[in-house]
Amino acid sequence: MVRAPLGLIGRIFAILLLAILIEFGASTFFYERASQLSVRDDEARRLAEHLVIARKLLSEHPPAERPALATDLTTSRYKISWTGQLPPALRVTPSLDRIHRQVITWEPSLNSANMSLRLVGSARNAVIVGSTTLPDGSWMKFATREPVHDLSFSFERILLALAPAVAIILIGGVLVRQTLLPLRRLALATERVGGKDTEAVPEGGPREVRRVIHAFNRMQARIHRLLVDRTQALAAVGHDLRTPLARLRLRADAIADDNMREEMETDIVEMQTMIDSLLTYLAGEANGEPRQAVDLAVICATIADDARDHGHDVDYAGPDHLERQLYPVAMKRALGNLVENGLHYGERVRILLHDRPAGAVIRVEDDGPGIPEESIEPALQPFVRLDTARARDTVGFGLGLSIVSRAVEAEGGKLTLSNRPEGGLRAEIRLPAS
Amino acid sequence: MLQYSTMTTSTAPNIILVEDDPPLRTLTTRALQENGFVVKPAATGAEMWLALENGPADLIILDIMLPGTNGIDLCRALREKSQVPIIFISARGSETDRVVGLELGADDYLTKPFGTRELVARIRAVLRREGGKQEGVPRSQGLLRFDGWALNLPRRELLSPSGAVVDLTGAEFDLLVSLCEHSGRVIARERLIELSRTRLGDSSDRSVDVLVSRLRRKLSSSGSKAPIVTVRGVGYMFNAPVTRE
Repeated sequence: MVRAPLGLIGRIFAILLLAILIEFGASTFFYERASQLSVRDDEARRLAEHLVIARKLLSEHPPAERPALATDLTTSRYKISWTGQLPPALRVTPSLDRIHRQVITWEPSLNSANMSLRLVGSARNAVIVGSTTLPDGSWMKFATREPVHDLSFSFERILLALAPAVAIILIGGVLVRQTLLPLRRLALATERVGGKDTEAVPEGGPREVRRVIHAFNRMQARIHRLLVDRTQALAAVGHDLRTPLARLRLRADAIADDNMREEMETDIVEMQTMIDSLLTYLAGEANGEPRQAVDLAVICATIADDARDHGHDVDYAGPDHLERQLYPVAMKRALGNLVENGLHYGERVRILLHDRPAGAVIRVEDDGPGIPEESIEPALQPFVRLDTARARDTVGFGLGLSIVSRAVEAEGGKLTLSNRPEGGLRAEIRLPAS
Repeated sequence: MLQYSTMTTSTAPNIILVEDDPPLRTLTTRALQENGFVVKPAATGAEMWLALENGPADLIILDIMLPGTNGIDLCRALREKSQVPIIFISARGSETDRVVGLELGADDYLTKPFGTRELVARIRAVLRREGGKQEGVPRSQGLLRFDGWALNLPRRELLSPSGAVVDLTGAEFDLLVSLCEHSGRVIARERLIELSRTRLGDSSDRSVDVLVSRLRRKLSSSGSKAPIVTVRGVGYMFNAPVTRE
């Protein structure tokens, strides 16, 4: 059974509690250390003398005059007051054993006067307070008026004061980081949504984060389902349209009117081209074909030959042979699409192949009008047609270049479109070195 | 074991059409009949076997996606018993389907939708190829090897000495097969044109000389020239020893 995890609030509360405990522990330790505090010898002597004189004067006067006398005895350095009863004990203030000893050393008479010394105030601004008894059993209280600055180990004191703060920052930071780690994993996973693989984020961390991750995983699964369903639905439509299209095509053959029949056949071919490009795009590299060694140079040459056989001006320039590991059908289709695209906008297309140490480079160049710079990026997006400047005469769904882009990505290569300085578009495929 | 004749004495070839879509079956049947074929339509594999028992067939057109036993399985079963030519028709134009179909011993593969002319031309091409075969010679199966190169007949692939697939058009492939099958002998240009025209679409009206020059470029390898010799005024000769596996 998995223990219900502590909530985010609970965790932060726990972190704060821990921080306070550390601070408290450290402070206690600091005050414990305070008993080790000592002052300079002359300070102790001056305090001892002042206390002895004040005590003597107070005890020589009747109680009625004592408060006024105490006020007179107060100097810029020491505050003196008199009280008939024992002053309430100061709690949570450390006693100052070492200073106590220093004072007694100078004035042993104070030893029999129940002198107590304590440190009061914040660690940085502490004053020494204390009390002694008078021979008649009344009490004299005193306090230093200026903070004890020159404590002998002030450097150590700063370290002591800083240590808990540093510890709190470090421990708190680590704990908060640990607490929010699952959230970070979630953020990373979110960036990958819609990609090829859907990996569920492991549910961990505070309760709230767990719930978010759980919800995210379900959302991711839904999105994935949606994408898969959409792809399957489109593919099914594509496949299923082929049968009625096949009927239509055979029926068209029976039309006596030559013009009508040819026009109809053109329409059917256009529909067929659209379906083919859609199915190719949806299948992507998941066409199921294995990567295999193929002669890339021969593929390029064959595409050029084939286009020439169909009356187009397409050249191939490059080596006779260049063997590479590729997805052959996808690459053939990609190059075919680029050539088709070039012929659509231009008259003459050149296929250039270079074998470079960094990998093979294929360029398909046409002599058409090129693409406006701002349209280069959108041209690679699916279902985008660059119709703004031209008549809408493109066949298909505008998937041609996205199919190329996908095929090149599957090879780990890079497709770039650029306008040639001498005019026309250049599509460049850089394949990684094999 | 059933025996199906691949050659009939009648002039009109017998074709069995296996297609599950009724209108398409009717339309295809009609189109083929108008082009002089005797067609027996079948909606399922079972109907196909029935049609085969009733009489010999010269060719079977098989839809891949059929209810019950699909076209691929039917093709496999057919090939165990018979060498009757088979043309696959499919609504899926995927490369894997095509390769699987051809490797199973189908003779051609046609993607829907197709026109009457294309279908008729493919049927005629397959029948002509079939007619040119000697008795007893196994149909397009196995490998032809020469100079380290390999021609995979069922897959219609040429492999380079280092094992890479070298892209050939249908016409180039048929031309190379014809040259290999007549290795060491001179083949007249006219005969080669006839042989390389068996596949429509790819060969079109390209002259054999252009096809040969393309083949030579594709078959060249560092240091050695392609083994296709021009015999001036007559035709071509393939002068490398060819082994069949």
